[in-house]
Amino acid sequence: MSGSYGTFSAKQEEKRRRTTPDRVLIRRVYQYALAYKRNLRIGVAATIIGAFTGLAAPYMHAIAIDNIIEPYNFAAFIWWVPLFAAIILGNYVFQYIQTYQMRVVGEKVVAKMRDDMMEKLQVISLRYFSEGEAGRIISRPTNDANTVRIFLRLGLTSILIDISSILGAFSIMFYLDLRLSLLAMTVLPVAIILVWVLGKYSRAAYRRTLITTSGLTARMQEDLAGMKVTQAYAQEKETEKKFIKSQDENVKATIRAILIGSSYTPFVIGLRLIGTAIILFYGVNALLAGTIQLGILVAFLEYQFSYFMPLVDLVTMYDQYQSAMSAIERMFDVIDTKVEVVDAQPDRSITLQ
Amino acid sequence: MSIAKPLLDYAKSLNPQRGFSQSFSAFKRLLKYHRRYPWYIAAITVLALIRSIFFAIEPLYTYFIIIYVIGPPTNTSLLSGYLLVIVLAGTGYAISNFALIYVHGRMSQYIVRDIRTDYYRSLQGKSFSFYDSVGVGDLTSRATVDLQLVDTFLRTWLGTVLNAVFFTIIILIIIYPISPIMTLISMASMPLIFYFTTRLWTETMPLFMNMQLIMGKLTSYIQQNIVGMKTIRIFRQEKDVVDGFKGVEDIYVNTAISAGKIQSIYTPLGPAILTLGIALVYVYAGYTLSPNTAIAVIEVGNIILFARYMMRLTMPIRDVSQTIGTWIAAYAGLERVLKMADAPREVEDTPNARDVKIGKGKLELENVTFGYVKDRPVLTNVTFTVQPGEKIAILGATGSGKSSLIYLIPRFYDIQSGSIRIDGTDIREFKLASLRRQIGIVLQDVFLFSGTIRENIAFGKPSASMDEIVQAAKSARIHDFIASLPSGYDTPVGERGVTLSGGQKQRITIARALVGNPKILIMDDSLSFVDAKTEQEIQSAIEEATKTRTTLIIAQRFSTIKTAEKILVLENGSVAEFGTHEELIARDGVYKRVYETQFVQKASPMLEEAGGS
Repeated sequence: MSGSYGTFSAKQEEKRRRTTPDRVLIRRVYQYALAYKRNLRIGVAATIIGAFTGLAAPYMHAIAIDNIIEPYNFAAFIWWVPLFAAIILGNYVFQYIQTYQMRVVGEKVVAKMRDDMMEKLQVISLRYFSEGEAGRIISRPTNDANTVRIFLRLGLTSILIDISSILGAFSIMFYLDLRLSLLAMTVLPVAIILVWVLGKYSRAAYRRTLITTSGLTARMQEDLAGMKVTQAYAQEKETEKKFIKSQDENVKATIRAILIGSSYTPFVIGLRLIGTAIILFYGVNALLAGTIQLGILVAFLEYQFSYFMPLVDLVTMYDQYQSAMSAIERMFDVIDTKVEVVDAQPDRSITLQ
Repeated sequence: MSIAKPLLDYAKSLNPQRGFSQSFSAFKRLLKYHRRYPWYIAAITVLALIRSIFFAIEPLYTYFIIIYVIGPPTNTSLLSGYLLVIVLAGTGYAISNFALIYVHGRMSQYIVRDIRTDYYRSLQGKSFSFYDSVGVGDLTSRATVDLQLVDTFLRTWLGTVLNAVFFTIIILIIIYPISPIMTLISMASMPLIFYFTTRLWTETMPLFMNMQLIMGKLTSYIQQNIVGMKTIRIFRQEKDVVDGFKGVEDIYVNTAISAGKIQSIYTPLGPAILTLGIALVYVYAGYTLSPNTAIAVIEVGNIILFARYMMRLTMPIRDVSQTIGTWIAAYAGLERVLKMADAPREVEDTPNARDVKIGKGKLELENVTFGYVKDRPVLTNVTFTVQPGEKIAILGATGSGKSSLIYLIPRFYDIQSGSIRIDGTDIREFKLASLRRQIGIVLQDVFLFSGTIRENIAFGKPSASMDEIVQAAKSARIHDFIASLPSGYDTPVGERGVTLSGGQKQRITIARALVGNPKILIMDDSLSFVDAKTEQEIQSAIEEATKTRTTLIIAQRFSTIKTAEKILVLENGSVAEFGTHEELIARDGVYKRVYETQFVQKASPMLEEAGGS
């Protein structure tokens, strides 16, 4: 890229608003995923079943305590141990299938999108590649594709696991003890509101780090592109000063984002604890009154533990989802660019009669 | 042959066996960067310990509730006290957890900053040929994208590892006195988990290393494709480009999927094994359960405590294998960054270097031999002298060593033997900064920084006065144009500024070279493909700029050569001819031949084909 000024300013790119609605983007990515329909179906099914088998473990503990150990019914281990082992093994197998299949889908979909982009780039008008635009275009099949790949690989599966874990934990809890479930969930609305509100600040702080990161990238790119000039005029110290300044801004913004981004965790953990205390308080009383069994009570504690974290996870996933959507939009932007000059059909051979 | 073939061969040739030891050495280097932050490490250790202790409290107090509150004997008066402890411990956990995330994150930012700064400084010492061979985008993405992956690892790694260690120890301390045998049973799977975690590490690491190497190459491939799109269209290579890209991407996708397969086998294995261990605890406890009710309650409580601790223990184990995953993603990039930062500078101040003021600007080269690679000289025994104020035009075919020759004067490279003297002082006795600031240099590449025109002209001398800047712009014949702009010298250039033509840019770079009023001027005027008017403007700028200075100029145009006092003809790295135009014509040698074939007969005054170096 030497020989030109105008390094890529990612700053403007980040600020640009998204214009395509999420569902359109999702549908289009889904169109790509359809080529790997089998992998996708197996992957999603394994994710959901895997989450459910994971949730079965605490219930199995409850059964072991309440129906086998406490009543001295050890003969029941004959069926309990193989069942428990089967559930754990099943959970392992489903996790394996899920991770593997989703990886296949994620990698292949992004590869296909990138191939389409490269093909399109070869035919669109040369004006598209005008000065100063190169960096912007390059970042689409590289950075943007990478963001989408990471999202499809990790983000999407986490979202699926989180949702199935939450729904699964809820259903089991309601099935086990309706009253205790409702009590345990009293803290839930507070937690959701809190995470959402604090999450807003966190997202704003995160976006600021993105802008300073783009600034740093642009600075670095320009410094390197102009390094010969800098060396020729022995201005290394001066350019380094500017670089350090830009870097310090980025470091400061990131530290701030870490502080704000993690500030809601103590509150969420605190709320979870209040939930635990409520379960223990009412649970112990119910136990003494004979309306609940010890194993169920312990299982409740575990379920409460296992739906709270996915919930927080899900809220924090929002950012990743947003940046993936923006990246997807930019990729389709290239794929959808109109071709201005279309080659005439290759000469047809004409047979003379 | 497809243009992607070298890339494809490269991707196929990658040896997947080297990753592990490399990863280890990169990790050691990373640890060194931690040394500057002993207080952070101490704080992280203490916080991780506190957090582990608080994390272990809830199951323990639930156990107390089961045996002391529920009983028998039942004693509900203790319940609120235990609940309070649980809530307080939880609060302590929440706060120490928050503090840990923050301190850890802060340290990671500082370390990444340190690494990036070292990297940046090392790049400042790289030679021109380095920048000719490596893409700026690739270099930048190492400092941003690759280091971001390192940051992800640095943000949690120490806390996660310490947490796993501390939590295991704390659990052992609590459960061992309760039942040594059950402790042994529940911990029996630990070595197995350790083994599988190591397997995960060793098996996936080389694959990830390859993936990153391929991705790096793919990125530069895309970059070259986009930057060079015009050429590709002209030569109709579009299909080749895409086919080659797809071929390499296939290799990448397959590697990623194999790595994913290994990961998906090993990652969920640890927690599964640990959970299966719980079943053993149940069975053992069940068969040894006492028929005495009072003891049985305690034993049921024990079982619950064991089971819950083991469920809790799956979390740090999962965290550790995730951290290993982040390390695998981080290390290949880190390795590349560190390798670059480690490489010694190619040209440095000699021990006795000093600030020397250039007086008249007499330039002498004596038996100068130079090559980019040892034993492959580009220049051999070059000897000539330039008197103060003289202008020397350098001619030569592509590869004759013209650019190399002028790069030696400001010490962009060091010569292998011989000497270069300015006013009788060897250039190695100058401090580098002192030498380069006193030589005006116009490179073949026309590069302007984003910023104003004024900042660009004053780049080499930020303290320059407005008068000096205007004077330089006038000499470079660009002042009138700048003055005609609405914001004059404060007009920004670059993406959001004014668009300048190639000729205007070149004249600004000439002004930039003149601003310090250098005694010696070095110009690479191999600009090709300019229209007649632009050429005339640049020509006039060069003439004015070189009037009173000792000048070395790589010339393409006869008009430039004509105004030079002497002409130096290079052939295969040696001086073929050196003298005035008349002398060389009289000699009837290379110059005369070139003069007659190129300048006299051809309408276009080009000495050689476009794009010579």
